[in-house]
Amino acid sequence: MKTWIQTATLSIAALGFAAPTLADALTVYTALEEEEIAAYVEAAQAAMPDTEINVLRLSTGKLGARLLAEAGNPQADVIWGWAVSAMMDPQILEMLEPYAAKGADVLPETFRAADGKWFAPIGYMGAFCVNTARLEEKGLTMPTSWADLEDPAFKGEVLMPDPNSSGTGYLHVNAVLQSMGEEAGWAQLEAVDPNMAQYTSSGSKPCKSARVGEYTVGISLAFTAMQSIEEGYPLAMVFPEGGVGYELEASGLMASANNPEAAKAFLDWTMSDEAIGLYQKYKALITVPGVDASAAAEAAGLPADISTVLADIDFVKAAEDQSAVKAEWKEKFGR
Amino acid sequence: MNASETIQQRARHQRLDADRLLTAACVGLPLLGLILFFAYPMIIVFLRSITVGDSYGIGNYVEVLGSSGFWRATRHSLVMGGATTLVSVFLGFIIAHGLYRCAFRGKWLIRAIIVLPLLAPSLVQALGLIFLLGRNGVISRALGVEIEIYGFWGLLIANTLYALPQAVMIIGAALVLLDARTYEAADVMGASPWRQFRDLTLPSARFGILNAGFVCFIITITDFGNAAVIGGDYSVLATEIYSQVVGQRNFNMGAVVGIMLLLPTVIAYAIERQAMKRQQAGQTTGQVPYRPVFAPPRDLCMAALSLLICACIVAVIGIVVYASFVTLWPYNMSLSIKHYDITLAGGYSSLWMTILISLGAAVGGTIAVFLLGLGLRRLPHVLAQPVQILAAMPAAVPGMVLGLAYILTFNSTSTPLYLLYGTAALIGIVNFYHYHTQGFLTVMTGFRQLPPALEEAAGSLGAGLGRTACDIVAPFIAPMLVSVFFFLFMRSMVTLSAVVFLTTPQLSVAAVTIMRLDDAGLTSQAAAFSTCVMAVVCGAVLSMKVILAMMQRRRAE
Repeated sequence: MKTWIQTATLSIAALGFAAPTLADALTVYTALEEEEIAAYVEAAQAAMPDTEINVLRLSTGKLGARLLAEAGNPQADVIWGWAVSAMMDPQILEMLEPYAAKGADVLPETFRAADGKWFAPIGYMGAFCVNTARLEEKGLTMPTSWADLEDPAFKGEVLMPDPNSSGTGYLHVNAVLQSMGEEAGWAQLEAVDPNMAQYTSSGSKPCKSARVGEYTVGISLAFTAMQSIEEGYPLAMVFPEGGVGYELEASGLMASANNPEAAKAFLDWTMSDEAIGLYQKYKALITVPGVDASAAAEAAGLPADISTVLADIDFVKAAEDQSAVKAEWKEKFGR
Repeated sequence: MNASETIQQRARHQRLDADRLLTAACVGLPLLGLILFFAYPMIIVFLRSITVGDSYGIGNYVEVLGSSGFWRATRHSLVMGGATTLVSVFLGFIIAHGLYRCAFRGKWLIRAIIVLPLLAPSLVQALGLIFLLGRNGVISRALGVEIEIYGFWGLLIANTLYALPQAVMIIGAALVLLDARTYEAADVMGASPWRQFRDLTLPSARFGILNAGFVCFIITITDFGNAAVIGGDYSVLATEIYSQVVGQRNFNMGAVVGIMLLLPTVIAYAIERQAMKRQQAGQTTGQVPYRPVFAPPRDLCMAALSLLICACIVAVIGIVVYASFVTLWPYNMSLSIKHYDITLAGGYSSLWMTILISLGAAVGGTIAVFLLGLGLRRLPHVLAQPVQILAAMPAAVPGMVLGLAYILTFNSTSTPLYLLYGTAALIGIVNFYHYHTQGFLTVMTGFRQLPPALEEAAGSLGAGLGRTACDIVAPFIAPMLVSVFFFLFMRSMVTLSAVVFLTTPQLSVAAVTIMRLDDAGLTSQAAAFSTCVMAVVCGAVLSMKVILAMMQRRRAE
């Protein structure tokens, strides 16, 4: 009987629903956003007509779990646009092979690995999502910094992701610690803790809860904020004074790639003029020197010079401190 | 000894051998499946849980047991599991009792509504509760008071909604087959309805109630989805696993918590078995199906309660369906169909593949649990017991752990099982084994009602196991097989937690599309897609019911 199901389902598989990877097919794992993936892949596919580009999209955390579970026999050829703090996990770095993508050498050293295992021409930012309707209803003043959220009037009105479950949570905690310094940073987090209604497990959830009016402030992602504003929710995107956290979206070549040539060609494409042109349409944060993100940024209501709102982040230190900070956070604020 | 006797004896021997072989096959095939697709992956998880650096040790367990977060999560999980079990079994009994032991009209409506939580993607239940009971929900706004749903109470409601249909399915399996003659006798002897309920209905339903309680308890302690969206800061063991595996890429620690979750399950199962020992098995032959007569106080009360519960379910799911047609919930309530124009995340393409996979899981799964139940009746107790425990265990594994275990197991080229990796077959298989417990216990509850004398009579009339199974057992157990089939079909259509790790760029399923739409911030589109999935599942279930009814009519003719 079991064999019967297997035969039946395998024959379904054979019908092409789960076709085995073709020799000239490329498997790409990514955590970029759906809309931009569609645009980039269309262009990349046109530039590489002989390669079938297959993309698997998962959120940053789930993609990490998938990569590690598959570590014995990796399925991906390329990791594309994935949080650099996740990429710098030694378990992941072990799976990567250095490759100097054409054009990646223009990136400043902080935006690519010294050993060539990853490079990051783009990134994303955190943001406060403030529901203006609820803000008004509760008679609260628009917060512009972390310190503003200490006000007892915000009690039970603020949400943020748990850094132990969400990369976005760590993005914010790390930005506070690095921009204010360890001591002042922890003091700041402690001061807002009593007002936190929940620490969520997803990075976009605080913004999604704030936009439907469940809470006033969701400490979350700029992407979700901009997308919600575009949909028409009564939401304001706020970058806290003193700098907001951000994350690089890094790409790298899997050492086990079945199709290394196509993988390299794809990575080269991600640094091509065509790709960078598309980044200007979709990304607020572009690390390629001399490339202006102002069109995308302005459309989204960001300052033309994005660097004015970003915290000063040392990604190597952020990766090194990760375990210790998360453990300390859990000790202090775990609920 | 004359010639004809020898021939008869030989024939009987041959039949016994054939029966033995058939019993072995009945137990062997499903057992092989359980070992390959459940036990083996879980052994791999266990090995990960004792992996410290490059060698084995108990270091991970020491670390987990030493953390205060783990004990808090354990306490929360146990309290939540207990509370959900009490509420779900109580409400589930009311509904099952109403459906099978009472006489009132409109049961089809209750039957149709009660399964809705099973075919609703988890996002629907979460959104529904928040849209209704959230701080900015419909009820909060109507009352002008902010209800604080996030935390224990919200989680209890969400878990109960999910557990209730499963409790009804299992308790129903115990109540549907009671013998009318016992009740007639009780009537003749002048036993009051209350006395009949207490002394006849309750004891015979005990096996179902205990099984249902067991299932409700373990699906609650392993559930992550509800805890993440509505549990607020009420951390449970499943959120602990998520935090370790997805948040911190710490596989081995996640594996430890996954293995620890098996413990309460094994204990709960042992308690349940112990409690069962006191009950007599089986019933007499020649049953007369119970036809309840209308008893106003009892029936009106039961009908009202059942309808009230159903109204809650409809409200939670209905509000999401409605919201999928709203321009911008809750700020622009004008109606629109724009959310149904889904182009991202693969659009509607995954829907049809999901139906194929779900049908495969449901057909294969129903046959497997039937064969297993049939074979287990003929195995000696010593052999049957461990198989039963194994068959009841899969629900104790959180979907995420099962999904990752499948990657670790089937993405290894060292066994030919690797051929399954990345195929639709493996997704069908993981769906079936994820819900194996519920299917198995429903069928076992049904078998419990099967009079052994019936099988014995068939045997002494010369019917072999195959013939008995087809002509006696299968028709008797058919109602449970049908509910197991629909249960597996509906859950396969919408379950996410295990499947999310097994899809490939070329092969996606509906639940993953819903997650991707929601990840992209397009919650209304995710709700719209969920509505389509629910509509397709309802359509499929209805048409299958029509086919079943037609087949029955043909057979009756």
